[in-house]
Amino acid sequence: MKARPITTVRTVVADVEEAGDRIKLFTLVDPDRWELPPFRPGAHIDLHLPNGLVRTYSLCNEPADNTRYVIAVKREAEGRGGSRALHDDVRLGDVIGVSLPRGGLEAGADIGRHVFVAGGIGVTPFLSMARHLLRTGGVDFVLHLIVRDEVPLAAHLAPLIDAGRVVVHRTSRGGRPDLASLLGEAGARTLVACCGPESMIADFERVTASWPAGNVHVERFVAPPPIIDPNAKPFTLSLARTGTEIQVRAGQTMLAALQEGGVDIATSCCGGICGACKVGWIEGKPVHRDRILSPYERERYLMVCVAGSDADRLVLDL
Amino acid sequence: MLDTVSAGSAQNAAQLGWTGVVRFLHFTPRAFLPMRAAEQINLVAGRGIEGDRYMIGNEEGFYSHKPEEGRQVTLFELETLVALKRDAGIELRPEEHRRNVTVEGVPLNHLVGRRFWLGETLLEATRLSVPCRHVEEITGKAIFDPLINRSGLNCKILQGGVVKVGDIVRNAA
Repeated sequence: MKARPITTVRTVVADVEEAGDRIKLFTLVDPDRWELPPFRPGAHIDLHLPNGLVRTYSLCNEPADNTRYVIAVKREAEGRGGSRALHDDVRLGDVIGVSLPRGGLEAGADIGRHVFVAGGIGVTPFLSMARHLLRTGGVDFVLHLIVRDEVPLAAHLAPLIDAGRVVVHRTSRGGRPDLASLLGEAGARTLVACCGPESMIADFERVTASWPAGNVHVERFVAPPPIIDPNAKPFTLSLARTGTEIQVRAGQTMLAALQEGGVDIATSCCGGICGACKVGWIEGKPVHRDRILSPYERERYLMVCVAGSDADRLVLDL
Repeated sequence: MLDTVSAGSAQNAAQLGWTGVVRFLHFTPRAFLPMRAAEQINLVAGRGIEGDRYMIGNEEGFYSHKPEEGRQVTLFELETLVALKRDAGIELRPEEHRRNVTVEGVPLNHLVGRRFWLGETLLEATRLSVPCRHVEEITGKAIFDPLINRSGLNCKILQGGVVKVGDIVRNAA
């Protein structure tokens, strides 16, 4: 029996390729080469690194290539440590837990043309998208790759450059290109997307501010913002048995706050119907959103996966 | 008052009966990984499905940290997939509900506590499955609410054997 739930997809490092310019390509596979959870073109995953760091990287391969996750990692000597750990410590055969893939391009039936803008190593999600679009056909695309001088993943991009699908802009020679002229006019059947440094994304968002939102895509390495009830308020959980206080952020579940605080809570459905996370409450005004407790039970218990609080402080029998 | 179905009704049910069929078989070796379709699977009495994440001894499933005898094999009604499409406009494929056996013509919700034949194997239903956010996370489809009370059946395996697509499902009353 495992004491802890499995929270990541277990992968094994099956290949490490030196791709030049301090970039390594890592290929992650299931230990039995089983299909991996599916992803959209240009999606990204979190890697739970052996040293405890969690870092997010775009997938370079395309969705049809469904038994591998390929990521390109540029070693940033002055970074926060994720790329150094991957470059210096991760070897073939190492086991790495990863998240389910997130993000990437939604399949848009009405899109006839894509214009992509990438800055440096931000090209990685567009490799996935380009491979996908070339394989599926029928949709025109061009990728404007803005680099200081050297083209990252040059060997992988060469066929796309030769085919005119990738246009390289070197800022060391011509300065930063004008994004508005690269993107052209907004069109209902045109989708534009950007991935790169924050300053480039800010420029991109400024230029595309008047475009229909559905035709603009920005690839950022963070989870989509949670949909928070505008009336949700933060509150404090007071754990009577341990004397601990835990803050619950607006819109956060009590369960997530307790787990962040290191409190082990049994869970199952996480939707308020199975009863696994039933906890006694002592003082406060709980908001019950479960669908199984009777009015009588609600006077003493709540389900931490869905319950909230109508008061600033809620005392739990924990 | 309604702790048990009356003997007369149970007898009627057994006599009137039902006969279903195995439409799809799926398994996966680890949590989160896609379910793979199979033409046949091997059920091991008292343990689970060979190669599946919940086989006792494998403990590779999302809920394996909470052992449960009745998770040896799980079933799901094909009719529920049809109803999801019809009532909620959600297209859920048989590999997406993450139960092992998709059956047609089997009243799963009526079988809790009862024994029935799945092909040559004998199962005992222990409880109804409940929907979970985990499957929503994997599929990206809002299926939690529509699957309340029709999320399948958890069973233990009393007599093992090979189960094939097309096998008959019948009461063992």
